[in-house]
Amino acid sequence: MRLIAPLLLTTLLAACASPGNNYDPLEPVNRPIYGFNRAVDKALLRPVATGWRDYMPPPIQTGVSNFFGNIDDLFAIPASALQGKWQSTATGTGRVLMNTTFGIAGLFDIASRVPLAKQDEDFGQALGYWGVGSGPYLMLPFYGPLTLRDSVDPLSRLAWGPIDYIEPLAGQIGYYSVGLVNLRAELLPLDAALDEALDPYAFMRDGYLQRRWFKVHDGNPPHPLPMGDPDDDGDADKAAGANDPASGAATGATQ
Amino acid sequence: MRKFFGMLAILTACTFTGTSLAAAETPEQLVRQSSRDVLEIIRKNEKDPVKVRELVDARVAPLADYTRMTQLAAGRHWRSATPEQQQALTREFRTMLVRTYLSALTIYKNAQVEVKSVRAGNSPSEQDVRTEVTLPGEKPITLDFSFEKNGQDWKVYDISVGGVSFINNHRNTFASVIRNDGIDGLIKQLASRNASTGNK
Repeated sequence: MRLIAPLLLTTLLAACASPGNNYDPLEPVNRPIYGFNRAVDKALLRPVATGWRDYMPPPIQTGVSNFFGNIDDLFAIPASALQGKWQSTATGTGRVLMNTTFGIAGLFDIASRVPLAKQDEDFGQALGYWGVGSGPYLMLPFYGPLTLRDSVDPLSRLAWGPIDYIEPLAGQIGYYSVGLVNLRAELLPLDAALDEALDPYAFMRDGYLQRRWFKVHDGNPPHPLPMGDPDDDGDADKAAGANDPASGAATGATQ
Repeated sequence: MRKFFGMLAILTACTFTGTSLAAAETPEQLVRQSSRDVLEIIRKNEKDPVKVRELVDARVAPLADYTRMTQLAAGRHWRSATPEQQQALTREFRTMLVRTYLSALTIYKNAQVEVKSVRAGNSPSEQDVRTEVTLPGEKPITLDFSFEKNGQDWKVYDISVGGVSFINNHRNTFASVIRNDGIDGLIKQLASRNASTGNK
């Protein structure tokens, strides 16, 4: 595993070097996978996550969420450094040191009370910072939405996550299961909007891509993420320049 | 006669102060006031999501430009819709937004809303107000309100949650439904969902 993952990362980086934000060229493959994921989610993951949220004592839920959050923080340190964000790197390092020791392996988020604020950084954002486009949107079985660029994060977790220190296989399975349930429980509030969507696949995709675009630009994107047919914007003052002359004329005539 | 002019002067003065007061309400002030009111509604009715939804809807309705919101979500297809279709689509889209998002507000009873910044939009008649919503022990969520000046008043035409815009998230779906089933198809689909789960 330790050998394969860096290799995969390199291949991935090479693949990402081709620029551009291809807007869901893999939809024909992604959609069936999404249907499969959704079925698994409805039958298994969502009920378990709902049970976790409703019946697990809140201190345990917080502890588990903090534990995995601490691992996120650990990976955020190099991700900040790669973007030259030294303040963020320092804050993140302080957080991990404090929470791993005094916070007992990350179960308690003491650093937030100092306060050393959580740094929302990851390798996908670092690549985006250096101009790497998101690449095609992917829907992974049993996992969910991702882009080619942002797959560096789950891959780096596989390569360098604490999993190697967990010896028995049962422990590893437990680690991933609890992590998954914790993550799913955190996403439960989004279910209402997703269930209401006329096309849940497109709703999730467009939400995910916008969210990543927002994060890559640290909350201040230069412009909204272009998605789909630019003319679908259909708004005279906003889409000016993006429209072809014909539709521009049509806009002028009706507004 | 003098009395009449006096009255007229007072009336005019009142009218002018009235309008200038209304016009003086900047997007930032609108966000501050309405978020305070909305949080109060949630706190007072935390056991009753339906009541929260109704009261919040009534509170924010004068601030929201649902027609503009729907127009942007429908994209270029808006132009080919008849005024009746535009009205029906706006009505159903609004019902859906209110039903989906305002019913979920009760989890925000302990939330704090802080205005972070106000930015000029693409034109002088546009402004974006950025807020952060914080729940105890959780990461803050950015909530952006996009305002457009509509005559005297500033109205919200889009809301972004953590960078995800309502309009953009519905545009592609709307476009594909319209391509397959036409505007009436979209209106019908929204209406049937609104009707089937409307009483939840």
